[in-house]
Amino acid sequence: MSTDTEHSASLANKVFIQRDYSEGTTCKFQTKFPSELESRIERTLFEDTVKTLNNYYAEAEKIGGQSYLEGCLACATAYLIFLCMETRYEKVLKKIAKYIQEQNEKIYAPRGLLITDPIERGMRVIEISIYEDRGSSGSSSGSSSVSGSTAR
Amino acid sequence: MPASGADSLKPSAFIPVCTAACLLVGSTSLFFVFTCPWLAVTVCPAVPPCCAVLFLFVLANFTMATFMDAGVLPIANEDEDKDDEFRAPLYKNVDVKGVQVRMKWCASCHFYRPPRCSHCSVCDHCVEDFDHHCPWVNNCIGRRNYRYFFLFLLSLTFHMIGVFTFGLIYVLHHMDELWKLHCTITLVVISISGLFLIPVLGLTGFHLYLVSRGRTTNEQVTGKFQGGVNPFTRGCCNNLEYLVCSPISPGYTARPCKKSVIHIQPPFLRPEIDRQMPAKVRDNGIQSHDLQNRVWANRSHAKVKPRTVKYFPAYHLRIMGHHTKSIIPVSIPTVPQLRPVLEAISRGSSPIPPEQVLLSRIGSQQAGLPVQTNSTSSSLHLNSLTLNSRSLTLKHGNRHGSKYHLPAMHGDSLGSNPPPSIINSSSLLANHGSSSNLSYDNLINPADPQYLAQRGAPPVGYHPHYMSLGADATVLQRSSPHAYSPVFMGVARQSPQPRDSSPLQGLTSRDPSPSLQGFIQRDPSPSFQGLMARDLASQSVTSRDLTPPGLVMRDMTSQSLRDSLRDLGPQGMTPPKSAAARYDNFSKTIMASIHERREMEERERMLRLQARSQALYGPDVGIYDIPCRRSLPPESIRQPGSRGPTPPAYGSREFLMSTGILGYGMRTSPLSSSSTSSLTRGPKTSSSPLQSSSSSSLQSKGRSSSPAYCTTDRQTQPLPSSTSTLPRLTSSSTSSAPSYTSYATAKRSSLTYSSEGKDSVTLGALK
Repeated sequence: MSTDTEHSASLANKVFIQRDYSEGTTCKFQTKFPSELESRIERTLFEDTVKTLNNYYAEAEKIGGQSYLEGCLACATAYLIFLCMETRYEKVLKKIAKYIQEQNEKIYAPRGLLITDPIERGMRVIEISIYEDRGSSGSSSGSSSVSGSTAR
Repeated sequence: MPASGADSLKPSAFIPVCTAACLLVGSTSLFFVFTCPWLAVTVCPAVPPCCAVLFLFVLANFTMATFMDAGVLPIANEDEDKDDEFRAPLYKNVDVKGVQVRMKWCASCHFYRPPRCSHCSVCDHCVEDFDHHCPWVNNCIGRRNYRYFFLFLLSLTFHMIGVFTFGLIYVLHHMDELWKLHCTITLVVISISGLFLIPVLGLTGFHLYLVSRGRTTNEQVTGKFQGGVNPFTRGCCNNLEYLVCSPISPGYTARPCKKSVIHIQPPFLRPEIDRQMPAKVRDNGIQSHDLQNRVWANRSHAKVKPRTVKYFPAYHLRIMGHHTKSIIPVSIPTVPQLRPVLEAISRGSSPIPPEQVLLSRIGSQQAGLPVQTNSTSSSLHLNSLTLNSRSLTLKHGNRHGSKYHLPAMHGDSLGSNPPPSIINSSSLLANHGSSSNLSYDNLINPADPQYLAQRGAPPVGYHPHYMSLGADATVLQRSSPHAYSPVFMGVARQSPQPRDSSPLQGLTSRDPSPSLQGFIQRDPSPSFQGLMARDLASQSVTSRDLTPPGLVMRDMTSQSLRDSLRDLGPQGMTPPKSAAARYDNFSKTIMASIHERREMEERERMLRLQARSQALYGPDVGIYDIPCRRSLPPESIRQPGSRGPTPPAYGSREFLMSTGILGYGMRTSPLSSSSTSSLTRGPKTSSSPLQSSSSSSLQSKGRSSSPAYCTTDRQTQPLPSSTSTLPRLTSSSTSSAPSYTSYATAKRSSLTYSSEGKDSVTLGALK
């Protein structure tokens, strides 16, 4: 929370990075650099973030040995295994959440940006909130700190 | 009737699922109790365990299919669609593996449904990879639970076959005890299983077919890929593999809440942006500004008052438009002020028509725009040609840099006024470009061979053009009907608005006056010189008369003009003749007066056009297009008497130009909001899908399109949109439309474009 600092940030705009459906319904986001961010963050940083997220999602949705094993195990246990074990997808989602948190703290928040985990938007968009410096406020305001994720 | 989620909670919704559950569990239980003991003893002891396992499998899949989230997409936040709500099209096309797939706007969930996503009316939410809503499990079947549903079907089929088979064996072995309890119950069980086996078998076979083809029930029923290519299939084997082995995607709703607080604290880092672009423009402007200043300074040294800078209204327009979005004020000489000049011109004694004077002023004082009266006809012809092609060539005018400015400038200064004398001068200027012909020709038809040739051969080649300007009386009279200077209007036409800056910038970025330099470098021909002498002699008298107004007009503001003047100045002073000096004085005064008048006219026109274009043009007024009726404001809106004695006829070049010049300054269209309001995707409540569909059919979110295209859109939209924008309740069942891809293609072409402004215009036209 901003306390008695000179400046506070307020939400100015939101940019939505849409899904890239060119390869089907697999989860992939467009790496096109939105124009609203041109003055806020370097293009390479943004593209790196989106590409890393895409890689994470590709890894989560990969059909291979582990997913096959998971399916067999689930069938064998009449899906009771889901009560005690986390699927691979969920594990990757946790990794993604951690990655986004780290990116926010290191790269985006210092630039007045905030990435929202796409899972909160139904994996349809990556929401990037753009904050503006409201100038000196002198009073505490809650606008400069945001909760990273919430459940619906 | 968009059903609320409560539909799935209605008691009636539970009847099928309860029935199915009861039948399944009950029958199987009876089978296990009454039939299996005998089977274990008689047939094989492994029969009951296998049946039990299979039944367990059926139950598990049934439970998962019933209670698992099918892949419900949460409703979008308001932030996500607040820009799109009233201006976006109903459909968006996206390319999936080379196939155009249509994404429909979901009015309930406020986002464009991803491919294969559909809105379930029973559950009232969008489901990813929507298959169908199954009443027997009272749940949507979608991405996350299709596997369980399919396995349920498969296992149920086997289970029912097993139960039926073993029950039949039992009955056949107990034919003499048919009315005993065990037998009766077994009979009941096998009749139930036999009865429901047929539809279940059919459904299983159907879904096996769907999986092999990579389609969903929804796609199969709506016939989306009947004739086309299904981009979502991975091949039969891979589809099965994907069905069985793919990871279960996570549910989007009811996710665990993980709060992570991130502090965003200014000051913020900013990237190192390349500031060259704006600097370039600025530099160009500054350069031209400096140039103009320098020119101006030179001119003032040469006793040229700063006002002469106004001779480059086009150039100034370029700069100013970029910054101020307004026509550069150019003073236009008043009629009385110009009368002597005009009289001189009409007498044919003045070889330098006002426009030429301007041009010469601009550039060449020296190089002199030799005003010769000889080749008037040729120039006239050329001018008419250029004028005729102006509408087409002006489109590319911005590519030719300052050349266009000159003529435009001249047009501005001269073409704007009603007073006959001025009209004459302006028309002269407009039509024949005088020295401006050079620049005018450049503007009008840069590709004009004559012009090119002339540019190539400076002094000699140019002369005809100059001469064409001619202060020829006949020329004047011929051109007098044009109240507007075509040059001026041409300037106006130079893409207003969003494009305004680009052509202007393009112009600014160029050397301010290539054509001017051309003027400058051109050595006056002997004939020209002679003419100049003669003209100057005659003009010097008039110039004295005109000096006061000319002086008045000297307060030139355009730095670009100054720059160009500067360019022209030093070089232009080649003819070191007293005649040149006299010529200079004459032109000075004339130019001054002309500029004054022009300025006034400009202002008036700007105001009128501004009012007009505000009513008609949206933000897309910057689209510079071959004029067509649709792009023109309705005649009724046109201000009467906008142009003096001969207001431009609607649809005429002058009219187009005049509107264009205002469009240059226009930014918003009041009509656009009203017109586009009816073209929305529909209200958020989505209470009337039909309404939204009809409006959305006319709606598109593009920002630039030709009016013709827009109209085409209008005409084509209603047809496909009427089918495509049916309420979503029926959309799933309706389209026996052609193949999905072709349909999507047609829809895409009809929906993608047309600016709001154009919409408003066409709406006005059509309505």
